[in-house]
Amino acid sequence: MKLLALMKKEFVRFFSDPKLLINMLLPGILIYIIYSLMGNLIWQDAKEYKFVVAQTNAPEQIVAMTTAAVSGNGWSIEFQSGVQDAKERVEKGELTAYVVFPEVFEEKIGEYDAESGTPAPQVELYYRSADEESMSFFTLFTAVLDGYEHGKSNKFDVNAGGEKYDFSEETNVFATTMGRMLPFIVVALVFSSCMGVTLESVAGEKERGTLATVLVTSVRRSHVALGKVVPLSCVAAIGALSSFLGVVLSLPKLAGMAVGDLVASYGFTSYLLLFLLIMSVIPLIVAAIAALSTYAKSVKEASAYTSIVMIVAMVLSIAAAVVQSIGSWTVVVPILNAVVAMQGVLTLNISVWQSLVSVGLNLVYAVLLVLLIAKMLSSERIMFGK
Amino acid sequence: MEEIVRAENLKKTFTLSKKQRKIEKTTIGRKTAVDGLSFSAYRGEIYGLLGPNGAGKTTTLRLLSTLIRPDAGDASVCGRSVTKEAYKVRDKIGFMTSELKLEGFFTPDYLFGFFGRLHGMDESLIRRRKEDLFARFGIDKFAEVKVQDLSTGMKQKVSLVVAIVHDPDVVIFDEPTNGLDVLTAKVVTDFLCELKAMGKSVILSTHIFSLVEKLCDRVGIIIDGKMAKDGTLDEVWAGKTLEDRFFEIYHTVTGETI
Ligand SMILES: Nc1ncnc2c1ncn2[C@@H]1O[C@H](COP(=O)(O)OP(=O)(O)OP(=O)(O)O)[C@@H](O)[C@H]1O
Ligand SMILES: [Mg+2]
Repeated sequence: MKLLALMKKEFVRFFSDPKLLINMLLPGILIYIIYSLMGNLIWQDAKEYKFVVAQTNAPEQIVAMTTAAVSGNGWSIEFQSGVQDAKERVEKGELTAYVVFPEVFEEKIGEYDAESGTPAPQVELYYRSADEESMSFFTLFTAVLDGYEHGKSNKFDVNAGGEKYDFSEETNVFATTMGRMLPFIVVALVFSSCMGVTLESVAGEKERGTLATVLVTSVRRSHVALGKVVPLSCVAAIGALSSFLGVVLSLPKLAGMAVGDLVASYGFTSYLLLFLLIMSVIPLIVAAIAALSTYAKSVKEASAYTSIVMIVAMVLSIAAAVVQSIGSWTVVVPILNAVVAMQGVLTLNISVWQSLVSVGLNLVYAVLLVLLIAKMLSSERIMFGK
Repeated sequence: MEEIVRAENLKKTFTLSKKQRKIEKTTIGRKTAVDGLSFSAYRGEIYGLLGPNGAGKTTTLRLLSTLIRPDAGDASVCGRSVTKEAYKVRDKIGFMTSELKLEGFFTPDYLFGFFGRLHGMDESLIRRRKEDLFARFGIDKFAEVKVQDLSTGMKQKVSLVVAIVHDPDVVIFDEPTNGLDVLTAKVVTDFLCELKAMGKSVILSTHIFSLVEKLCDRVGIIIDGKMAKDGTLDEVWAGKTLEDRFFEIYHTVTGETI
């Protein structure tokens, strides 16, 4: 009952103050706006592309793959066949490009034996490298052809396997960059939202002496500690989730992809693990800041200590982003373990085991910190020292 | 006369931080703030601990409130030992200082309920107690106003009333009027008289003679952590003004003249 009253007070404090609530949600909204704007700036020119491409003997499948890739980028394409003077019209800029395939191309490459030494079937692609639009098509189309060829030589099923393989290749490049960057961003966001609520609530209350009024009642110290860490974690989780949603929703814009495509490229397990990892880091960080705040004599002192911890956490997550392969020992290092596990999930090298151990350990660390706070609350030197 | 608080040979030594040693200009790392202090306070009376700065008043009151533990000796509040039954003592006492220690964001109504729940009171008891105390101290009209929007005097009242939500037998009050303007100080002294009328026992600390003369039934003069003299006002007073008596005693104890 007493614990409940303590927790409820923190929630009441937060949810009846619109200012605090807005402060929590603001970072996410800002991130979304900034990232989207950046994405729009980067992809502004490209967004307008409407390819008009002449073709001869292009296999259905390649046409379909190209169309899909083009629309995946938010562009459009029109294939025309039997065009007169196609090469000249490309030169004049009336057509984006002209692609010529040998007759019965698919049969030919099916029969073709690379070991035989005879020339391989030729695909001709006419374009103008000086023209941005034409060049973009060239880049995209050669990528499609690559994927197609890859599919053939690997003897994948031509229809389903080839196409799918191609797409996951594309996502992978993006996933790697994002996977290396995002955990760092997430830790920074989580840290700042935890800092916002915890410093004020714990160090502020200690400095103003309102914490001491609670200590003269017959409440257990461990309840006072829990009564802070649990509700503050919930509140910080709102802020962290808002920031995280901001990142997730705006990254596709930054990458020039549709949200659906990006979201689909990670499975349900990935999302669940990401969620658990972020959630496990929040109580840990809140408890750590609360412990420092309990120790410190003032909000100023507490924020100085917290900044140091934040810098260490940032450096660790940057290091994790830069260092190629980090040993599995990281699983015991608080926060770093979550960063590494998140990287695994985002770069599609999911280790469920590593993720779950990290989540569990971080929660254990949080509980230990709560016990430490309870100890400090009963320490005369810390609570009433001069 | 029922003894309600009894301090026996209380002793508390602090380790001084570097910063503190500099301030006090000493190289000795330890300071005995309370040095074998004994006294008794009785039910329904106001007991005043009178002493100069650094005499150990706050330390004594914190020992009685179980906020800190004595190195030696013991004290009992309503028959409960502060060293062995700290949680039981906390339910019997209300601890307050002249500094406001309420979160300004909440209303008196909410804070009263909050501290009531922390003391393990049930809702109907909290409600009855709130109606009674809020009416008695004129807070009822402001029950739903955030503490930060109240006048200084009203804030002070709320802070006092919240500290006695659980109907403690003993109220421990460190420097009741320190730093308060005359009007707010009157709110506090009136409150103390009201507490006495309600049959509560009060232990307060102060360095203001007039406050002791006006409010207290008993006084203990504390110098350098030791009880220099204690008894009823008449006993300590001995026909002189309290001020004159204090400096006489101060001179006998320290050998210094002022
Ligand atoms: N937590 C502490 N750590 C170290 N020294 C302390 C601590 N608390 C009190 N002291 C020292 O013990 C002595 C008595 O302090 P105390 O606060 O009890 O005096 P006081 O009578 O309340 O004085 P004041 O009128 O200034 O409030 C002082 O010298 C003080 O510096
Ligand atoms: Mg004092």
